[in-house]
Amino acid sequence: MTVLKVENLSCGYLPEKPIVKNMSFSVDEGDFVGIVGPNGSGKTTLLRAIIGLLAIQKGEVLVSNQRIDHLEPREVARRIAFVPQMMEPVAGFSVEELILLGRTPYFGRFFFETEKDYNAVDWALSELKIEKLKDRPVTKLSGGEFQRVAIARAIAQEPRVLLLDEPTTHLDLRFQVRICKLLWKLRKHRAVVATFHDLNLAARHCSRLMLIKKGELIAEGEPNKVLTPENIWKAYRIKATVRKNPSTKRAKYVLLP
Amino acid sequence: MTRRSRKIKTGIVITILAVLLLAAMFFSLFLGSVFISPDELWESEILWQIRLPRVILAALVGLMLSISGVILQGILRNPLADPYILGISAGGAVGAAISIAIGSHFLVLWVGSVPVTAFIFALLAVFIVYELSKAAGKTSSETLILAGVALSAFCAAILALIIIMTGSLQSIYFWLLGSLSSANWNNIFTVLPAAAIGGGVAYFYSKELNALLLGEEMATTLGVDVENTRLILIGVASLMTAAAVSVSGLIGFVGLIIPHWIRLIVGPNHRVLVPVTALSGMLFMVLADTFARTILSPMEIPIGIIMALVGAPFFLYLLRRRRLSGE
Repeated sequence: MTVLKVENLSCGYLPEKPIVKNMSFSVDEGDFVGIVGPNGSGKTTLLRAIIGLLAIQKGEVLVSNQRIDHLEPREVARRIAFVPQMMEPVAGFSVEELILLGRTPYFGRFFFETEKDYNAVDWALSELKIEKLKDRPVTKLSGGEFQRVAIARAIAQEPRVLLLDEPTTHLDLRFQVRICKLLWKLRKHRAVVATFHDLNLAARHCSRLMLIKKGELIAEGEPNKVLTPENIWKAYRIKATVRKNPSTKRAKYVLLP
Repeated sequence: MTRRSRKIKTGIVITILAVLLLAAMFFSLFLGSVFISPDELWESEILWQIRLPRVILAALVGLMLSISGVILQGILRNPLADPYILGISAGGAVGAAISIAIGSHFLVLWVGSVPVTAFIFALLAVFIVYELSKAAGKTSSETLILAGVALSAFCAAILALIIIMTGSLQSIYFWLLGSLSSANWNNIFTVLPAAAIGGGVAYFYSKELNALLLGEEMATTLGVDVENTRLILIGVASLMTAAAVSVSGLIGFVGLIIPHWIRLIVGPNHRVLVPVTALSGMLFMVLADTFARTILSPMEIPIGIIMALVGAPFFLYLLRRRRLSGE
């Protein structure tokens, strides 16, 4: 079932200079899509347009068959959640209080959190396996812990589509792998779309890759079909060879001298 | 801390503050240069027409300034934000100065001319700042703050000009220092709607204020209409501040430090922060005003002096303790 559909999307900061150009793709439930491409290729811009932080210049974005620009902001927030590259830890908040912010689109004007919201928070905590951090101040978490809290906050929104901007960039190897495994688990019952800089990490964990360059999709599909020497040359102008990990059967690039 | 104990703690804090506030208001009624004996309690003009209105007005002004501070610190995401940052004080001062300089003592509506002109000019200043900061229907915190600073500087120049040209330095200066000595029942009923609307809106927008703790963009992705929220909250904060300024002049400190104080103690959750700050602002204002009018009785010290003298060192102590505990 298609949960996210992007059709002929163009967007950017200046009307005459779109950064994402005429892009079309769709994401199914259960997909874990990795968006890869060089710096400035439009990865983050694409995510920002999907979540509604950037006006769409042309084309449309549909979530569960509804155009997001026809939905109320809080209706969008109930369908798409976004984890930015760097989220500010709010001094004075506990992990639980921060995750509860993810329930904002469900709060009414005169009524605040209910049992249902707390259940959603507990569920997000257990999905991310961070129940133990619940009462910790958010300012006293390590980078890897905080990233999981940030994802839990997005999961508490109960989104159909979870968007993440470079979720592994600031993490060490152990947490890079852990976050990817978590996202693989979280893709069930929804779709996960994340940008990556590490091609091998993305190819190892995602169900699909999208390689973009200068705002255009230049390759898309199974990781092993996207991660080829030709595509790496096209996108990055880097000579590389591609090998297969014998146990995972996933492709990984190795730079040529 | 668990959910339950957090709720209980909030309840206890609010109850204690409410009790302290009522106690402070009650005792303040019997302090002053004139002793009121229990026999003349019911006929005492001083009690019913001077002290009671003054205590109630102090509480209302404390409420309005402290909640405005919470709102503006929240939406501008700037720790230096206070009720006066968007030019309200400067505008109000010009309005009051014009009225004082002209020396018109006519009554507009049912209050004096100084409060009315101060109120109008204060709101006018915010309106100018807001409109100037708007580009393509959107504002940004930095532009708002900078426009507020620039307009304040401009108003300060006009204020100085008025003072020099009319020679009414003393009366204008005393207005600027702030005082609750003009309290009467008319003033109270005039600012009461602003306090009620402002307090209610701030509380029921705590959801938006909390989401804004994550930044404007994250608040947007949580379904908050940031621009609309900003317009409404700046609107009510300005209404409250202008009302406070019009009846009590420029009382500083409450709107800046009380919200910080309370945030250091109860945390940044606006559901708790707004009511606790409101009660603390009221309590602190009532206490400060009682000191201001009794400590050198019958002379009155401007209330701003008392508040800064007592509050600033205590705030610095809290800040320091928090830095040391590393939170």
